[in-house]
Amino acid sequence: MTTEHHHPTPAQYWKIAVLLGVLTAIEVALYYVNLSYDLGSLNAVLLIVLATLKFVIVVAFYMHLRYEKATLSKFFTGGFVLAASLYTVVLAALGVLVIRGS
Amino acid sequence: MTDVLHEAPPDHPEHESTGVDNRKLGMWLFLSSEFLFFGALISNYLLYSNRPGFAGIYPSEIYDIPFTSVSSFVLLMSSLTMVLAHNALTRGDMNGTRTWLFATAALGSVFLGGQVFEFTEFIVNSNMKLTTNPAASAFYVLTGFHGTHVALGVIMLLSLWGISRRPGGLSEKHGMNLELVGLYWHFVDIIWIVIFTVVYLLSVPPA
Repeated sequence: MTTEHHHPTPAQYWKIAVLLGVLTAIEVALYYVNLSYDLGSLNAVLLIVLATLKFVIVVAFYMHLRYEKATLSKFFTGGFVLAASLYTVVLAALGVLVIRGS
Repeated sequence: MTDVLHEAPPDHPEHESTGVDNRKLGMWLFLSSEFLFFGALISNYLLYSNRPGFAGIYPSEIYDIPFTSVSSFVLLMSSLTMVLAHNALTRGDMNGTRTWLFATAALGSVFLGGQVFEFTEFIVNSNMKLTTNPAASAFYVLTGFHGTHVALGVIMLLSLWGISRRPGGLSEKHGMNLELVGLYWHFVDIIWIVIFTVVYLLSVPPA
C-alpha cells in the first residue's frame, strides 16, 4: 500500500465527490443553456474545460497519482499525450476536428 | 555452486529499480495503453457521428441527456466508494472495506443496468440497431466496450468482496490487489467522463 504518502482523509474524499457532482451538474446545465441560447464555440470550450477538470481531479486524488512517484506520472501522462496527439492528427487530417458548437 | 533464492519478505512489496511495486507499475502501463484503445473508438465516433447522408436515425437525435446524466453521476460516485474502500483497508477496517467494495459493485451494476436500458430503448423504440448506419455502429461499439470494461470491473470487485469474507483473505498485507482493482475502476470512470462530454453533450445531429 502507499500509506506512507499523505493521502486525503475520508472527509476530503467526500468533499472531492461533492465537487465532482457540482461540476457534472454545471456541465448538464451548460448543455441546456446552449440549447436555448446557442453559445457557439464557447459551449464546446467550457464543456471540455469542465471534463478536463473532472478528469484531473479523479486521477490526482482518487487514483493518488499526485502522491505517487514521478515514474508513474510520466508513464500515464506519456500514454495520454501519445494517444491525444495521434488522434488529433488523424482527426485533423480527416477534417473532423471542428468546434461542434459553432 | 550453490543456488540462492532471493525471496522478498512476505510483508514487503516487490520493488524494481524504479522504486515502484512492479504490479502497480504494470497496471499504470496497462491503463496508459488503454488510452490508445479508447482514443481509437472515440475518434471513430467523431468521424461518423454527424456525417450527413446515412440512412436511419443518428444517435445524437435520440440521446436522453437527463437519464445519462444520472448514470454518469452514479459512476462518478462509485469512484468515491472505491477510494473509501481503499482507505478503510489502509486503516485495517475490514467491515468498512467490505461495505464500500460492495457499494462500488452495486453502483457499477446500476450504471450497467442503465446502459442496458438505454440500448434497449434505442433498439426497440427508436429502431437504431448496430448495423443501422456507421454512426450507430460507432456509438454502440464505443459505449459497449466501455460497458464491457465496467462489467469486468464489477466482476473483479465482487471477487475481492468474496475473498474479503474469508478469514485473512484481504488483509492489509494483500492490499495491493484492492489498489490495482481500484486503479482500473477509476480509469473506467475517467474514460466515461470523456465519453459523456464528447459523445453525449457535444454531439449534434447532421445539419
